Amino acid sequence: MKKIRLRFAVWAVLSGMFVFPQQERFRRSPPPPEPLQELKLPRIERAVLTNQLAVSIVTRENAPFSSLQLIIFAGESLSPNVPAGTATFVASLLGRGTLVRSVSDVEEFLDSIGGAFSISVGLDHILLTFHFMEEYLDPALGFLSQVLLQPNFTRAEIDYAKFTTTYNLLAKEKDPDFVARRHLSRMLFQNHPYEKIAFSSDVIKAWNPTSLADFFDRFYRPNNARIIFTGSLGFNVATRKISQYLNLWQPRDLPPIALPPLKVPEKERVCLVDVPQSRECMAYVGTVFPTPGNSERFDLAVLNQVLGGTPTSRLFMNLRESKAFANFAYSEAEFYRAGGVFLVRAKVRPEAIAPALQEIRKEIRILTKEPASSLEIEQAKSYLIFNFPLQIERYDDFSRKMAENQARNDGEEFWSRYYEQVMLVNADRVFATAQKLLGQPLILVIAGDKSVLSERLTDLETYDVFDAKGQFQYTVTKDKKGAAHEAR
Amino acid sequence: MFNHGQRRTRVGISLGLVLVFAAPLLGQFGPSFPLTYARLKNGLVVILSEDPTLPVVSVAVAYNVGSVHEPFGKAGLAYIMENLMFRGSANVAPFQHFNFINRAGGELSASTSEDRTIFYQTVPSNQLAMVLWLESDRMRFLEINEGAFERARMALLDDLLQKRSEPYYDSQLSFDQLIYSDFAHSHPVLGTEENVRNLTVEDARNFYAGYYAPNNAVLCITGNFNKLSVRELVARYFETIPRGKDVSQSFDPPVYTRQPVIKTFQDVLASAPAFHMGFRIAPPFSNDFYTLSIVDYILFRGRSSRLTRRLLGRDNKIAYEAAGGIEKRKDRAIYRIFCVVNNMAMAERCQEAIFAELDRLKRTVLSEPDLVRTKTMFKRDYLERLSSSRERALFLCESFLALRNFDDVPLELDKYMKVTANDIVGILNRYFTADNSIILNVKTK
Repeated sequence: MKKIRLRFAVWAVLSGMFVFPQQERFRRSPPPPEPLQELKLPRIERAVLTNQLAVSIVTRENAPFSSLQLIIFAGESLSPNVPAGTATFVASLLGRGTLVRSVSDVEEFLDSIGGAFSISVGLDHILLTFHFMEEYLDPALGFLSQVLLQPNFTRAEIDYAKFTTTYNLLAKEKDPDFVARRHLSRMLFQNHPYEKIAFSSDVIKAWNPTSLADFFDRFYRPNNARIIFTGSLGFNVATRKISQYLNLWQPRDLPPIALPPLKVPEKERVCLVDVPQSRECMAYVGTVFPTPGNSERFDLAVLNQVLGGTPTSRLFMNLRESKAFANFAYSEAEFYRAGGVFLVRAKVRPEAIAPALQEIRKEIRILTKEPASSLEIEQAKSYLIFNFPLQIERYDDFSRKMAENQARNDGEEFWSRYYEQVMLVNADRVFATAQKLLGQPLILVIAGDKSVLSERLTDLETYDVFDAKGQFQYTVTKDKKGAAHEAR
Repeated sequence: MFNHGQRRTRVGISLGLVLVFAAPLLGQFGPSFPLTYARLKNGLVVILSEDPTLPVVSVAVAYNVGSVHEPFGKAGLAYIMENLMFRGSANVAPFQHFNFINRAGGELSASTSEDRTIFYQTVPSNQLAMVLWLESDRMRFLEINEGAFERARMALLDDLLQKRSEPYYDSQLSFDQLIYSDFAHSHPVLGTEENVRNLTVEDARNFYAGYYAPNNAVLCITGNFNKLSVRELVARYFETIPRGKDVSQSFDPPVYTRQPVIKTFQDVLASAPAFHMGFRIAPPFSNDFYTLSIVDYILFRGRSSRLTRRLLGRDNKIAYEAAGGIEKRKDRAIYRIFCVVNNMAMAERCQEAIFAELDRLKRTVLSEPDLVRTKTMFKRDYLERLSSSRERALFLCESFLALRNFDDVPLELDKYMKVTANDIVGILNRYFTADNSIILNVKTK
């Protein structure tokens, strides 16, 4: 009886092994994709108003929101050398109140139209973003007109803007990510007008009403601007409405702008920026490159994708998933009028900073020594192609993307030939780009608590130490016996 | 819309289908978009909402499980399960879920809260079948082995370490215990180090078997898809997944005594004093909850909200930071305020200012322009949650899990929009009182 029971038990277990978990055949492999559907981008219609303001209208039916982006083609690079940061200063005051509305009135007004109003300052342009509920188009345009034609630059507002900007910057100077990024900009843009973007809280004292008014008066002009409007209105109605509210905005002759190209760093440099008591550590590695042509842009995009564009790219898989040195590690390419910046950005565990830097360098070096496999290149390309519609799904994402595109003057064909251009990229082109770009001297910036990090950087031959504001402190050099020496 | 004679349409997904309704969302205050839902025989709720604008589709799978479902002493289990869901199933190797989505140009994420765990991805619409294949594989055949469990546990311990290095985190946990009082609602989603270290792979397997079953889940597909083929795909991948045991979703009703509570906590990481303040309010989506949501906007949403101005106004700023809002944990809700201040005297001044503002609101009926402005902000945020396929999928999943009745979803916005100024006075007097307040003052070392 015992034997029968045992046999039954063995049979039951074995049959269970084969029967459970029972799987249908279709579960064993992923289903093939359906044919790719055509991406139909919303139609973009353009006009130039009588005051020379360029307008692009995108009609999206049944949209409950309208989105308006105003590009001013003047960024921080056009701020005076003294005081740096004037473009940011102007932006911090706009929308804070107008001659006919107090700050408090503006706050209530924006809430009452379901509005969000913000201004961001870049190197080459300023982007004013204004979203609101569709039914409040007229009051929203009326407000925009007041912001541009009747800004309020009173002494009290100026003092308040200086106070809040200082306070915010001081708070940011405790954040290793901000500190590292700013320091990298200083190193990469040394002696270039772009360096002004990396100002510290110390310069704010020098901000004054004269430079503020001068910057606003010179650059906030309709002939130096473009509006991108996305909403449910048709082209004719939208253009008429914008014209109605902004036709009093007067053009003015613009000063000539001479922007020298960015210079590639002469030699590699490692900077340690001290953020006392920070538990986090950020590592940035970057270089610059000349303004690329359209096809080179796509080679770079694919290269970036292979190296660190997403969590399945090489850097992330190595530094986070394989070695657990970092919370994340990404790369990105940025394009400006005077050239581009390619950088790697990683949030590293402080105790793993030395091996993490080695791995970042190794990944960069590999790309300059061996071409990526065709499979990897094709995967990177498919990501870029298929991810594109996801980036423009939201009304505000679409208009922001359009604004960035137009601010960079990417041209019509950038979007219309996007798929085609990505498809043309191959492993050889990516390899050539990697050799040209990543074979250059790199700037490495580490930001975190110096007392923790310097103990871990013993394998570096030399590095410069800076305080959180970016002031040079001393250079650490290792002698032949491996002992570190500080020199001021 | 259902309640106004909308014809209910029966459409077959497959033989396993129990019921399907189709209706446009929303009520009179919002735009309409198509919405269909069904329940498969195994209990899985399937929600479909089509939008052909772009060739993009989002898939969200929400499980009706979160930290409130964790047994006593097993805090952190729900969060570990979220991590394990990416560590491989019968036909998908560890982390290949990421790779499949990424190579398709898609994006994915997941989140665990007190009352639900949700996995979502957006992909080009031609890859819908692949996402359904991935989601069904981990719903049916997740592999939970010692190695995967240990790595998930280590990842959680890392996250915990990170979280515990943030100032005010410990004081927040202490406040949670004061205001919620029971283990289920008061313990953190990330768990506690002691609990996490004691978890076993068997705990994870049991948790998966209990809660990661089709009858405890919602599958939502939004965006551009073919109406006919999507039904076939859903049936193909999900219909044969066996139903799990029915799990209890009810909790003992809270026993609260109505008396003010004021305690003190010393936070060694805090650089400035602070305080947490809370009011226990009506459960989520009860009758009072709609008015409470509008009250939230009056108090703390937008730059012109009452407490934002009172505490952070540029001419009379008395707090460094101040934030407030409704917090929902399954069947409970609280109104929570957190302020960072210069010193303890300012903490007291802030608390007095909060009560003074609440008293003012209780005594004077909100003006019509103020009420309209508040509702406009609410409506904007509500509609924002429908503005992409991903957000819409998340919204629909969460709405279903919270309401358990889809007939109510189309009329939700209307309920908020119909709140009156008198309702607001009533709610403030009922819930925002000193004897219903819990305060935890946070002192620095």
